[in-house]
Amino acid sequence: MSSAISKTIDSERVFKYLLIAPAVFVILLIGLYPLIKLIVTSFQNISMFDNDLSYQGFINYERLLDDDRLWKSLLHTIIFTAIALPIELVLGYLLALLFLEKLPFKQTLVAIILLPTIISPIVAGSIWRLMLDQRFGPINQIIAWFAGGDVRLLWTVETALVWPAILIAEVWQWTPFMFLLLLAALSNVDKEQLEAAQIDGASWWMTFRRIVLPAIMPVMFIAVLIRALDLFRVFDVIWTMTQGGPGTFTETISIYAYQMAFREFEISYSSAIAFLVIFLLTVTVVWALRRVEVSR
Amino acid sequence: MAITYFTRRAMMAVYASILALAMAGSASAESAADRAVEAAKKHSGITLNVFYEAGLQPLDPKNFTGPMWEKLTGIKINVIESPIDQMFTKTMQAHRAGSGAYDVLNVLPNQMPDLALAGALEPLDAFVDKYGYREELQLIAPVYRDNQMKVEGTIYGFPDDGDVLILYYRRDLFDDPDNKKAFKAKHGYELAPPKTWKEFSDIGQFITAKYGPKIYGAGMLRQPGNAQFLFQERFRVEGGKFFDADSMKATINSDIAVRIFNEMVAENKWMPPGVEQWGFGEAFSAFLAGDIAMTISWPPVGRWAAGYGKGTEALNWIPETTVADTIGYALPPGGRPELAAGFSLSVASGSKHKEAAYLFIQWMNSEEISLQRVQLPFALRDPFRTSHFSNEDYRSKWPNAGDYLDVLKKGAETGLLDLSLIQIDRYEEALRQGISRLWAGDDPKQILDDMAAQWDKLTERIGVDKQKRVYTDWANKPNAYPN
Repeated sequence: MSSAISKTIDSERVFKYLLIAPAVFVILLIGLYPLIKLIVTSFQNISMFDNDLSYQGFINYERLLDDDRLWKSLLHTIIFTAIALPIELVLGYLLALLFLEKLPFKQTLVAIILLPTIISPIVAGSIWRLMLDQRFGPINQIIAWFAGGDVRLLWTVETALVWPAILIAEVWQWTPFMFLLLLAALSNVDKEQLEAAQIDGASWWMTFRRIVLPAIMPVMFIAVLIRALDLFRVFDVIWTMTQGGPGTFTETISIYAYQMAFREFEISYSSAIAFLVIFLLTVTVVWALRRVEVSR
Repeated sequence: MAITYFTRRAMMAVYASILALAMAGSASAESAADRAVEAAKKHSGITLNVFYEAGLQPLDPKNFTGPMWEKLTGIKINVIESPIDQMFTKTMQAHRAGSGAYDVLNVLPNQMPDLALAGALEPLDAFVDKYGYREELQLIAPVYRDNQMKVEGTIYGFPDDGDVLILYYRRDLFDDPDNKKAFKAKHGYELAPPKTWKEFSDIGQFITAKYGPKIYGAGMLRQPGNAQFLFQERFRVEGGKFFDADSMKATINSDIAVRIFNEMVAENKWMPPGVEQWGFGEAFSAFLAGDIAMTISWPPVGRWAAGYGKGTEALNWIPETTVADTIGYALPPGGRPELAAGFSLSVASGSKHKEAAYLFIQWMNSEEISLQRVQLPFALRDPFRTSHFSNEDYRSKWPNAGDYLDVLKKGAETGLLDLSLIQIDRYEEALRQGISRLWAGDDPKQILDDMAAQWDKLTERIGVDKQKRVYTDWANKPNAYPN
């Protein structure tokens, strides 16, 4: 009797696996095949003039170690992410707090605030490049008006200004994304708990730390994770504004990988770079997810 | 009778001779353009994908040659556009993927060796012979014909755009008696289009001091992608060499280059604020607005500033010219202008319609059709055939169009070729990055040393001997270096 039941369960399980098998196959084909192809290519020697598909060992990975430009671009990426992410998070949170209150034309204002996120990053970069242009841009004209004379601020040329210019564009475009997610999260914070804390005389910080933060943490974590990944892959805005210049001063890992792959046709080497990026991001995401699990 | 018989035979012979001569005459009278059209008719019904730089350039195949070709042959023209800095990448991508995405290619001449060696371009000699085009190819201005057509002796493209960087200046300021007197008193020589970069700087500072900030002495192409052309020209005019011919070590960091970098930075100080960001559009609009007395740029500036093409719908974006009656044309300081960029027409090796693609480019590039194309007010093709410069119709398009064409012709005789090497874009990229660092305020010597190190590293990666062969071949061309 029991073996008959287990046989029925087994056949049901097999049937379920068979049902989901096509979907799993498609996902593997779409997700895994490019990764395998990327890894295989990184062990070959494909460039503009070479098309050697034989196994070349770790030659491209050894090259990574000697490539100063690569590590500099990685450093730029990490620093940029580390600065932009908290700014977007804090500004997004403050905006969300503001919009928790009753405001006139709230829906319209939210829609207006969200506009930059709808724009393609290439367009956002172009807008900011024009805004910051010395000859035609309004920013320098406004600054000149306040300064009471001509100013010469070459935002996309001078090393002192170029990162701030990119940061402004990036924060302008993506803070609303943080705002939207945090607004949704804050709307769901238990109001009774907040009122109880207030009655008990809890400070603003205590209320935030003990009630608000735990309540919004899951959403905030997802928002931070998504933005961190986006920032790590930042390309369009920088490409439009500076193309990684002056020199390689604003070159990020994505820009460098693009240069190697599509301007210099170092296909195998750029595959190695791409694998390095995937590896670093995977390690970071897994570590972050574990931290969240542990904290729960 | 005998006489009659003889006469009849003689008459028959005469008729036969006349007929033969007429037939021969009609064959030789048939132009390269006609031959291309006749041969292309058998491909009627197909579509050719033509790859063009985005912007005004593709208006030629879209609005002019494309419809005309379709009417003549039944072959449709589909234009695919790309920003100029992505054309090489996209051409290579299509080649690598074997997609056959393009049939006709526009190729930057200094990238032709890369594309040809990678197998992306179809050799054209067999087609040229088959369709009798050699004679007309010889009529292309020598500097373009001899330098922008072949790789290692094989034809891979037809030079199709006479790009050259020319000096444009405001004659009203240069001819003003007060200016002439004051300038001579200060510098000891006549105020005239500058022959050297020292004179250029003297004149520029003089005009800025007198008229600034309303009018500046000059405004130049300073965006790194454009400025690198002017640097290449100036460096060679001043005696610089890109490499040591024996060792292939980069000599781009010589004292000459350091001096030029320092001079370029110094010039920016008397040019309009923010000139470091200026590309073609900024310099062009400032010159048309009368905000600058001199600029060095591509040929369209010269004709549009003179008002040519005014009222054309495609040129509505061009600001109203204020210098139409006062524009002057001259060779830039040093007298050896850069043949910056340019285009050659090629056939993609992956094309499924190679013959039809070839016939289209022969037709476009022919004496007859190219003369019409270089006069299209909205297109960007510049005169490149000897006959274009002397064409009376073109020379009468605006009052000093003759001067304009004469200067372009001189430029075509004396112009300096863009550096061409294996993986040239990587060398140029280092140059572009160097110039962007220069504008950011880095030390010129340090920038040039870094650039030289980058070039050496690249050369070693590509192979010193391999690159040396290509460089030597390029350097031995009469228009590679001034002497």
